[in-house]
Amino acid sequence: MSKQKYEIPTINKIDFAMASKYGSPVKSQKIRTEIDGVKISELTEKFGSPIFVFSQKQIEEKYHTLHNAFSSRYPDVTFGWSYKTNYLNEICKIYHDLGSVAEVVSEFEYQKARALGVEGKDIIFNGPYKPKADLKIAVEEGAKIHVDNLFEINDLEEIAEELGIKIPVAIRINMDTGIYPQWSRFGFNFENGDALDAVERMYAGGKLYLTGIHSHIGTFMLDANAYRLATMKIMQLKERVERKFNAEIAYIDLGGGFASKSNLKGIYQSAEVVVPTADDYAEAITNAIYEFNKSENLPKLYLETGRHLIDEAGYLLTSVWGHKRFPDGKKGYILDAGVNLLYTSTWYNFNIELDKRYEGDNEASMLNGPLCMNIDIIEENLMLPPLDRGSVLTISPVGAYNYTQAMQFIRYKPAVVLIDKEGTPRVIKEVDDLATINYKEV
Amino acid sequence: MKVIEELVLDENNVAFHPMMGNSYQLNPIAKEIVSAIKQSKSKDEILQELSLKYDVAKEELFIDISDFFAKLKVYGLLS
Ligand SMILES: Cc1ncc(COP(=O)(O)O)c(C=O)c1O
Repeated sequence: MSKQKYEIPTINKIDFAMASKYGSPVKSQKIRTEIDGVKISELTEKFGSPIFVFSQKQIEEKYHTLHNAFSSRYPDVTFGWSYKTNYLNEICKIYHDLGSVAEVVSEFEYQKARALGVEGKDIIFNGPYKPKADLKIAVEEGAKIHVDNLFEINDLEEIAEELGIKIPVAIRINMDTGIYPQWSRFGFNFENGDALDAVERMYAGGKLYLTGIHSHIGTFMLDANAYRLATMKIMQLKERVERKFNAEIAYIDLGGGFASKSNLKGIYQSAEVVVPTADDYAEAITNAIYEFNKSENLPKLYLETGRHLIDEAGYLLTSVWGHKRFPDGKKGYILDAGVNLLYTSTWYNFNIELDKRYEGDNEASMLNGPLCMNIDIIEENLMLPPLDRGSVLTISPVGAYNYTQAMQFIRYKPAVVLIDKEGTPRVIKEVDDLATINYKEV
Repeated sequence: MKVIEELVLDENNVAFHPMMGNSYQLNPIAKEIVSAIKQSKSKDEILQELSLKYDVAKEELFIDISDFFAKLKVYGLLS
């Protein structure tokens, strides 16, 4: 006698209040069977689990949308790929091929950009810590140096002396744009006059001259108007510096900070509602340039957008390893990926999708990673149907910061796959192994 | 009398507990298990029976039945 088809036995208390308020929370399932036409099951079978997956098609579409929003309004705009957001070589290459210069904040990011063939003049060197030896190389190679503090001015003057040249530099400024918290740690403050004083200090030394003004007001900015204020203040400083020092500020740089369509914890409207569009950001910035420009020429405009460009093009596929029933009745799943790979889990409510439709009603479930650490929680409370060992969940958006900030902790860092524009997946970074872990130990 | 014995099962796989005033959604195999418990069958007997009837590895079924019993306890239907 052949056996009958099996289904996991389930019992769930019916909450009539909840059922009428939210439709049917016990039945609805979010399902994703493929990324750019490649089956989720094919990806994990071929490349393993957990695995990061990036879509080149989605990267390029997003880039063109944002670039068009600016270039349709302004004649001279260039993007600088924010390396820290994701500095996998193949990812950086996509942005460079699209026309981005490189925006780096450390010596190794600088070296990575150079190794990828980016010329010094196409590298923006930001950040509060620029070791002098590396700063000197950047100066020699003609990189755009964005000065953060007075010590750096001293270092640059010494380098100018050593090289027998005058160095063109840009200055990073910070300001009140109505955003809390205000990022006042980086660069020089606009309102209290520090920024203008710093420029004065540069010109007094006679070895540096200013060609650019930069700001980065924060990340995940949900208010496009903050960029209008930032641009206004940059343009006001530009005008003062040009008048006072007979300088020519060739470019302004508004940094990064545009939000991605992810759902932030504590914000209950959907991302579609609260996140400004590319056009909103572009309008705020370019209108303010036109409005406050007092020079004959318009400055070149740089942007260092990271998160907005890549977040939604990145996915993490993770598999169920086991489950248990906690004493409070909640179902707990053990996954093969956890907070070691999901740095942004502190702020985001991720979109978590199933690889197929599952039989059975949803119940409150907790998603835990593989770490033997109590903090390894991806989701406290998610309504999920009964999953099996091997069920695959797709977590998104995870394209920004999660790979670069993934911890080499307890488990090996996973492989990364890129699906190219033809829909062909290939490994761009292999899974780590013991040699990676032990590398350079003596 | 065990609390679970007071559960009233209907043809839509909904179980109602008159004293507690709670309703529960079950699936067919869950309904079978509840009926078996009402007939005072042990967890082990239920495991044997279902593993003969359904296309599932016994080790896997053991996990699922244990989970199901745990849930009945959380709901106060079993002690
Ligand atoms: C100087 C600078 N530019 C650009 C970025 C990229 O920011 P985002 O990913 O928010 O666009 C950052 C991130 O912190 C930054 O510090």
